[in-house]
Amino acid sequence: MPMSLKSDYPSASDEQLVAWAKDGDTEAFEELIHRHRDKIYARAMIMMRNEGDAVDLSQEAWVKAWQRLRQFQGESSFATWMTRIVINLCLDQIRRQKRTRAESIEELEEESGGVERQMPVVENNPTEGLETEELRRRIDEAMGKLTDAHRTVLVLHEFEGLEYKEIAKRVGISIGTVMSRLFYARRRMATLLQSLKRERSE
Amino acid sequence: MKTTEFTLDLQAYVDGELDASHRAEVERVLASDAEARALVEGLRQLSELVRTHEPLARVPESREFYWSQIQRRIAAAEVAEGREARPASGALNWLRWLAPALGVAAVAVFVVLPRPGAETPTLASNGPVEDAVSMTFRSDADGVTIHWIN
Repeated sequence: MPMSLKSDYPSASDEQLVAWAKDGDTEAFEELIHRHRDKIYARAMIMMRNEGDAVDLSQEAWVKAWQRLRQFQGESSFATWMTRIVINLCLDQIRRQKRTRAESIEELEEESGGVERQMPVVENNPTEGLETEELRRRIDEAMGKLTDAHRTVLVLHEFEGLEYKEIAKRVGISIGTVMSRLFYARRRMATLLQSLKRERSE
Repeated sequence: MKTTEFTLDLQAYVDGELDASHRAEVERVLASDAEARALVEGLRQLSELVRTHEPLARVPESREFYWSQIQRRIAAAEVAEGREARPASGALNWLRWLAPALGVAAVAVFVVLPRPGAETPTLASNGPVEDAVSMTFRSDADGVTIHWIN
């Protein structure tokens, strides 16, 4: 690639920017950050529920990305590779904070109650529902009411698209626990969204 | 009344986690179980709703500030890595120290080299001046003699 084209970072593809960044081009790397920083930050925010942690871990993810850029061979998109990095950092942070210990009451409730078949039906009908942005906000709000353990499994499955066995490996739990946590998280989400819908119609 | 295990199988069915035989089994039940069908539908709807409405957030810092912070962290990490990688240069520093010491030791060895027939002290102390102390150590096995004078 001629040097003259290198100055046109905004119009370069992610792949091209990654290639330049691998050669030590910090401007190309900065352009990648600019493109994906909100997504990476949002993912950290969903996991951590705390702006300070989300900023810190998202920045740490970019530092790690710079250090490991040569390992990125393009098996997935750059954005996917980045979200995996930030999710791993969030999981480490949650483990460090041992936040799951504080969730014993909710986990006990889950274990003693088992999984119920009944699940509120949440319809995604724009004519009777909320505007997309408002819906996103409500979903975020509901996710904030889940425990870290349940939210983690839900995020890894729904947003990261990971299979049960991969979630089990990442989180360090059995596949059975992944399944029950996922079910519980969904049921809780459905209940929370139903109540939000009721609040709105009142 | 279906078991918890079957309920989780229904979820696994929605998530595409069942093998062909399990899937067929679940589908047989679904054909005749309205409650199971409702649960499957509820799970599908919720999953779709969450996936298509992932919460968004914007970094609460300007592009320049955010990048400058990352740059600082990268630089700090590189310095830290350099420090970690320093054992090799630390060893070289030690060798730089050792080289003159070995030189002095060599001179000392030459000075106190035992003459043929002379008696060799293994550890001796002798003080011509009251405050001065000298010590000599010789190892015949290693062929080394070291002389200290304080």
